[in-house]
Amino acid sequence: METQTSSTPFYEPSGDECDLFERAWKNRLPLLIKGPTGCGKTRFVAHMAARLGLPLHTVACHDDLTAADLVGRHLIGDGETIWNDGPLTRAVREGGICYLDEVVEARKDTTVVLHPLADDRRMLPIDRTGELLQAPPAFMLVVSYNPGYQNFLKGMKPSTRQRFVSLTFDFPSATQEEAILMGETGIDSMTAKRLVSIAGAFRALRDHDLEEVASTRLLVYAATLIKDGYDPVRACQAALVETLTDDAETAVALSEVVSATFGR
Amino acid sequence: MEEYVGELWDRLITGAAEKRHAAATVKLDDIAKSVAIFFRALGGDPGLGISAAPAIRHGARRRLLQRMAGSGEKVELSWRDGEVLRLPSQIDLFAEYALNRDLYFWLVAMAAVDTDNNQPWIVRNQQATQSTLQRFPGLHVRYSRLVDALLAMRIPPHKLPEDEAAQEYSIRQALQQPGSVDEITLAKRPFQPVPLWPHPNPPVSGEPTATGVGSPEQASNAAQKKNRRKHLAQRNDVKDDKNGFLMMFRAESLFSWAEFVKVNRPQDEEDDTETAQLAAEDMDSLTIARDGKASAANVRFDLDLPAGAADDTPLGEGVLLPEWNWKKQVLQPDYCSLQQLIATDAKPCELPHALKNTANQLRRQFQALTPTRHWLKGQQDGDELDLDAWVQLVSERNSAMPTSEHGLYRAQVNQERDLACLLLADLSLSTDAYVSNHARVIDVIRDSLLLFSEALTATGDSFALYGFSSLKRSHVRFNYIKGFDEKYSSQVRGRITAIKPGYYTRMGAAIRHASSLLVQQKRRQRLLLILTDGKPNDLDQYEGRYGIEDTRMALIEARRLGLRPFCVTIDTEASDYLPHLFGAGGYVVIRNPEDLPKELPLLYAQMTR
Repeated sequence: METQTSSTPFYEPSGDECDLFERAWKNRLPLLIKGPTGCGKTRFVAHMAARLGLPLHTVACHDDLTAADLVGRHLIGDGETIWNDGPLTRAVREGGICYLDEVVEARKDTTVVLHPLADDRRMLPIDRTGELLQAPPAFMLVVSYNPGYQNFLKGMKPSTRQRFVSLTFDFPSATQEEAILMGETGIDSMTAKRLVSIAGAFRALRDHDLEEVASTRLLVYAATLIKDGYDPVRACQAALVETLTDDAETAVALSEVVSATFGR
Repeated sequence: MEEYVGELWDRLITGAAEKRHAAATVKLDDIAKSVAIFFRALGGDPGLGISAAPAIRHGARRRLLQRMAGSGEKVELSWRDGEVLRLPSQIDLFAEYALNRDLYFWLVAMAAVDTDNNQPWIVRNQQATQSTLQRFPGLHVRYSRLVDALLAMRIPPHKLPEDEAAQEYSIRQALQQPGSVDEITLAKRPFQPVPLWPHPNPPVSGEPTATGVGSPEQASNAAQKKNRRKHLAQRNDVKDDKNGFLMMFRAESLFSWAEFVKVNRPQDEEDDTETAQLAAEDMDSLTIARDGKASAANVRFDLDLPAGAADDTPLGEGVLLPEWNWKKQVLQPDYCSLQQLIATDAKPCELPHALKNTANQLRRQFQALTPTRHWLKGQQDGDELDLDAWVQLVSERNSAMPTSEHGLYRAQVNQERDLACLLLADLSLSTDAYVSNHARVIDVIRDSLLLFSEALTATGDSFALYGFSSLKRSHVRFNYIKGFDEKYSSQVRGRITAIKPGYYTRMGAAIRHASSLLVQQKRRQRLLLILTDGKPNDLDQYEGRYGIEDTRMALIEARRLGLRPFCVTIDTEASDYLPHLFGAGGYVVIRNPEDLPKELPLLYAQMTR
């Protein structure tokens, strides 16, 4: 097993999630990661793939993603048809991690192809070619979704959910988040502290005034702008306030929090 | 002539004495929403409302001019209690707009900090200042600007008598170097008010009435703009056995303006509300007697429940439901009794003629939402070949044109709508208010229910309609209009037409019962739509924060059950409390209540698309 090298993406663990991931991989269990947007789900998977030395096949799921997009399809070439593997099939053939980001966004029929892969059969039947692929030991299925902003008409079926080991992510603690900001962007600890304090204030507004709260990713954006020499108050307004709300009065209040932290 | 000169003099002196700056005035109404969000962001209790503070006589030394003009006697300070955060209704203390605005945000920041109430006032303020500045270092600049501006306005210590000067020095030091003053020796005369700090000894508003005597929920004009300034309320119990015309006091002990005298004036029905309003604003405190005898102008109904024969028919036994007590933070089991009622005598009827056109239009729009099977062309995969696409591909290739990637299949899709919706309408007496010259809230609700049913029948979505009202915890009325398994028929229309306003709004119990009905629907998405015109409220302690918190708990329970609550309201002040209940995206305020019947089905379509 490889250890963290310079090519491994930066990840600051907040608990034993790395351990759980490794154990799930070793024991061939599929993993479900839930958490708010921008809290590091994708980064975590990328980090673990690098750490375990596995190829990572990421699929960002969207409304129109069909089973064929995952499994593969026949393409029509010059006088012939060519079978083209989809990312899921490629991952099963080669071994490695197949990561389906925001899996609830995908069409319902896609979950059906995941079912035989996600239980102890670990098989991927391909109807079109009549193949039945057996996943190698190095294959791991990881899916993620954000329970917060699920579309009203979408949700994860219990039959799909119950095939996964689940891991809940939340925003890191203040000290960890400061470490992340400094590790990612190289800003000084004072600025990191202030940014995290702003995020804390915004997160208190969850369920009341904001539908989605400041993610670690947005903080990294703000920190990057500040590191680049941009005025901190303006940077926070651009990266946090305006991104989080369209409502003018809410924006005023959020800007006040920013200037209460950075001064003017 | 005399009068003219007097007026001129008055204007001159008041103008010179008033250290107020009308041009730089910041009004609470204009920034209330931002201030509230700021308060919550800084960690303030999200359940608190924001309200204007009454002006209070401070009794401190005033400048000569002010004394001549008789102004500057009162000051509005901020404070916080269990229900609301009180802020000045407007700030015009400084000549600069930005400073006045800063002062608002400063007061809110101070209020968001919890302080040790056992400490003396001056220490508490310094602690609050210190911890606010520590948490939000960016406020330093603003704070020192405010302090500088404030100190320049206060009567300098050297112009004051010795004891007051010492007092003033301490305050100045505490403002400039927070944390450095441990105690203050109070002079005989109260100190000049410090607008940067909260009220030294905030008045306690009247205890919530423990007994059941209540004022009726008023059916006032819904469009009426409320005066945000609040009065210090004192609630006195009225001794009913005394006749108000008997002098119950010795004539030599004179009452001041604000003291409470029970005067028996049952015939007082004059409409001179404007003068009364002015008089009320001049008073230090208003005393409100709760004797249950509101004047005739406000009473339009009888509080007694109708006789059994005249009332709707009860359906089965009452249901016992819990209620959340936020003060004790406990769920009190079996606290409310809910009775399902059905209007059996409602005559089946057709859709009113006036709604027919809109209904037809809605039905057509909503038919588009009906789940149908249809073929999609040009798909990447599907059940059949898309011959058109194939022919195009072949001909493009044969004519040596650059070919694009085509979907060559046709797929059949089934747009599935697997959802159930329960609409819960508020039928409390407040819906008896008029929203326009010819329609009451209840009429608007009735039309909304009719059109909503028409539209949903067109989609084939499963839905139910219920209404609710309450009279204390022992009698929560839950009116059955249409169940999930009942067809929308003329009988249902009859029941919709038969809804009538009455009683109060115990929202929590109604939501709990509605949730339990909705959760039995085995659909993938379940929508609990609540139609209301105001805050939760009932005769007993179910008012203000208590009602809000119970409703909030009922909604949290509903979400836990996997339901999606959504609120549609016509209360223009709803943004004060609805975010706390439903969250930012969980409610919508219909500005013009008459639009509700048309808006409601469209909202539903948007939500479930």
